[in-house]
Amino acid sequence: MRKARDIRRTLGAIGALTAAMLTGPVLVAGEGADETEVRGGVAVFEVGTNIRAIRVHGKSNALQGRALVRLGPDGLAIDELRASVPVQTLDTGMSLRDGHMRKYIFTTADGRLPDLDFSATNAVCTGSADRADCRLTGQLTIRGNAQPFTITVVATRQSSGFRVVGDSVVRLSSYGIEPPSQLGVRTEDEVKLHVDVVARSVRRDALLTGVPR
Amino acid sequence: MKTARALVLATVAALAHAHVATALPTMVRLGYGDCAACHVSPQGGGPLTVYGRGIDRSQSLRGGDYTPSDDGLTKALSVGGRITQDFRLLLRRQATWAPGGTRTDVFRPRLMYRNVAEIAGGFRASATLTAETTHAPRPARAYDPPTQADTLSVNTALLHYKVNETIEIAAGKDQLPSGINIPDLAVFIKSRNRLGYYDAPTQLKMFWNSKRYHVTPFAFAPGGNERAGEAETGTGALAEVDVLGAGRTIAGVSVLKGVSESGSRRVLGSYVRLGFGRWGVLAEHDMATHDRDTLSGARLPQSTTYAQVFVAMREWLVASAIAERARVTAPFEEKLTAGAFELSARLASQATLGVNARVQRDGRTGRTSPSLVVQAAFKTIP
Repeated sequence: MRKARDIRRTLGAIGALTAAMLTGPVLVAGEGADETEVRGGVAVFEVGTNIRAIRVHGKSNALQGRALVRLGPDGLAIDELRASVPVQTLDTGMSLRDGHMRKYIFTTADGRLPDLDFSATNAVCTGSADRADCRLTGQLTIRGNAQPFTITVVATRQSSGFRVVGDSVVRLSSYGIEPPSQLGVRTEDEVKLHVDVVARSVRRDALLTGVPR
Repeated sequence: MKTARALVLATVAALAHAHVATALPTMVRLGYGDCAACHVSPQGGGPLTVYGRGIDRSQSLRGGDYTPSDDGLTKALSVGGRITQDFRLLLRRQATWAPGGTRTDVFRPRLMYRNVAEIAGGFRASATLTAETTHAPRPARAYDPPTQADTLSVNTALLHYKVNETIEIAAGKDQLPSGINIPDLAVFIKSRNRLGYYDAPTQLKMFWNSKRYHVTPFAFAPGGNERAGEAETGTGALAEVDVLGAGRTIAGVSVLKGVSESGSRRVLGSYVRLGFGRWGVLAEHDMATHDRDTLSGARLPQSTTYAQVFVAMREWLVASAIAERARVTAPFEEKLTAGAFELSARLASQATLGVNARVQRDGRTGRTSPSLVVQAAFKTIP
């Protein structure tokens, strides 16, 4: 009788642990950081022009990245963040315009087309472990030119990880990029950025896929 | 007799469903929320701006960059870029099967000359002349007879004054501003609301286009080709908002009141233009009330609805599924519904091919009349 109760307790503990691992990153205050990754995140940009009726919108569904997320004494903290967007995946809906964008904004002097890359060493967030406002300050690299960049994001815990949504602005002039002009329409210097990603625990994915960490 | 009547009705329907690809509200899918992005006229239709010509070419199978012509003749004709002009040729063949299976074929060629001349100090003049051999009047209704067609007609003759980047005023002859502004003038929301090919009232209108709000008040008077007693005077307005601010979610309302010797009409409409990248939705619902003094003071409520879902399978190839509905109460009761599939292929800036297969059903008689249209449109590029 007692043996049967022990078996039930053991099975219950295994079930609870498995459920916790499957439903999200295991973050315990004071413990080590959890490595999370983003695949297929959404990055959107919008830029105005000198013509009121014309604004250019673009999108990539291929934002990817990794970061260490931990629950510190002051709430959520993000370390060693690195994210990138392949330039070829940026799409404005018009192939000719996409070609111009790559040519005039993202192509280096020697003809390469490097990814957009963002890296930040750490970010401290305010809020709780379930919802935190974070200010990520680091370096954004466009066509191989790294410049200081800050983005404010909101991280919300979900069953599958953290949903991270944020906005920022990039000034083309900061990168020495002349705003493109075509047939009398010139884009503005300020480009609005919006990101919307879900960061999942690598440990959880490893468990699901059977791939060792 | 019945067969002859069916043939006449089929012919009218065939002629009615002939449209001119002049404005492309489907471009809302790419964030072009209003016509002023590409057309010289903020109302849309007519010649394209230089940028609009670039977009026109990029959205064609040929593709590539548009470069304004720099040959001597073109420069001389454009008076150093002050005059933008082109010719458009539309060749349209339509087959309609009347109830009973009798087929009617109609070939309708049209040649248009369009001109915009920059004057000075924000003033410009625009005109569109059309020559045709086969007319396409609106369906004749006892409470709403069509305007008179002619072999040579002036569709547009406007003097514009651009006050600043957001406000423009125009005066002259033109089609009245309308909701989703599709080029097919034969759909119920157009043909049943005096927005047909030959409806070009004299008007004064203002376009106020801010970043998110577009307001177009207008006043109108007879254009000169109305039938006796139908010369109409009135006012109206469109007001629309870019709901999410990215030029892809436009919602608007329209109002109009017109008075003629024969009576008056009031129209209240609502519409949306929605774009989601490769696809989008255009929808409009208009409620009109015709008060006819000539028909013993009859009050005739009429409603027309249009819905189009379109998909850009390629940038140059757009497919659409269209549904329409028209309702008129007794004594001129009508219950019409229609569905259509349309394919438009822009082969080059100069050439567009279109196919439209449509079925219309009369809810009172239960009869259906299918039609098939093939259209080729050609234009010169400045």
